[in-house]
Amino acid sequence: MTSPDPEPGTPAAVVVRLAEVGRRHGDGAGAVHALKGVSLDVAAGELVAVMGPSGSGKSTLLNLAGGLDRPTSGDVEVEGVALAGLPAADLAALRRRNVGYVFQDLNLIPSLTAAENVMLPRELDGVRTARAREEARAALEEVGADDLADRFPEEMSGGQRQRVAIARALVGERRLLLADEPTGAVDTLVGDEILGILRGRAEAGAAVLVVTHEPRYAAWADRVVFLKDGRLVDSAAAGLVSAR
Amino acid sequence: MTIRHGLLALLTQGPRYGYQLRAEFEASTGATWPLNIGQVYTTLSRMERDGLVAPGEQDEQGRVVYDITEKGRAELDLWFATPVRQADRPRDELVIKLAMAMTAPGVDVARVVQAQRSATMRTLQELTRAKRGAGVAQRLVLDSMIFQAEAEQRWLAHCEAVLAASPKEGA
Repeated sequence: MTSPDPEPGTPAAVVVRLAEVGRRHGDGAGAVHALKGVSLDVAAGELVAVMGPSGSGKSTLLNLAGGLDRPTSGDVEVEGVALAGLPAADLAALRRRNVGYVFQDLNLIPSLTAAENVMLPRELDGVRTARAREEARAALEEVGADDLADRFPEEMSGGQRQRVAIARALVGERRLLLADEPTGAVDTLVGDEILGILRGRAEAGAAVLVVTHEPRYAAWADRVVFLKDGRLVDSAAAGLVSAR
Repeated sequence: MTIRHGLLALLTQGPRYGYQLRAEFEASTGATWPLNIGQVYTTLSRMERDGLVAPGEQDEQGRVVYDITEKGRAELDLWFATPVRQADRPRDELVIKLAMAMTAPGVDVARVVQAQRSATMRTLQELTRAKRGAGVAQRLVLDSMIFQAEAEQRWLAHCEAVLAASPKEGA
């Protein structure tokens, strides 16, 4: 028996939690504070967008949320597991199994086909090739790229590569999806489709955190938070802050 | 005079009753531009006067269908062929508000900007939600509003950067 669905009306489980997270580069007078005491929860089924100018700490926040970087203060939890205490090997395993990333530069491997690129994280997880291939097909289909399975990255347009990179992030039921400017330089129609895919993934139960500087894509989110000089200015709370 | 051209465009699909025109106008503009039935009939009777539409026979319930005339088609073709001028837009209250916030003492301009950014973002979120599942015509209308809201967001982000680089005098 699988466990029953949660009662309607109960708050969805928090998938990633940042509590008073800070990230400092360097020490003393020359220290640079990329993030200063940022707290943010993203629950299952929720799409949250982080907006802010370049240099505001957006990518740092995403890297900390996914365990690619460690905070200098505060705590990060993924699926209730505090990342700070994890040995490197466990952290790597948690990242592979629970977290899907879409990076700004897509990092597709040029010598692998689309399907092989998407399969790779699953094979690293020890999933057998036949099953990994099947999962890759399903993920490519979800992003409308099933016809690209046998193409190499250089044989695809920018928008097609973007889709494949997203399929790679989706493969294998990851519950936390992190996307850093996932729309890159694609035109607005493809950009909207990409956000539509991420939106659909959130509605299927994933927690999705998207960093973007483009308002039209942030608008797909349930919640938009503004990052300024390493601090969050919550859009909902912005008008409530005391004037003093 | 866009309502009349909108109605003419709908009439190219065949004769319509007034109430049908109203419903179809709203549907094709994604209900972003509600019309009352009075506006529809006033517009139709003016267009009849100008020879752009012609009424048919009354049916047993006293309703009249309207059809587009040759003159109406020519008018519509001209409308589609003519670009809209930006200068016709009314003065923008937000621009005036920000300019005043810069000069009035004791106003935290950065907060005015952030409050507007959050509000415009909520509008953008609502428009984006409405766009999911919309038909193509509705979608184009919503997209137009999305691009406008987006332009405002970009401008506000720009204001923020300018303000950070050169704070208000006397602040």
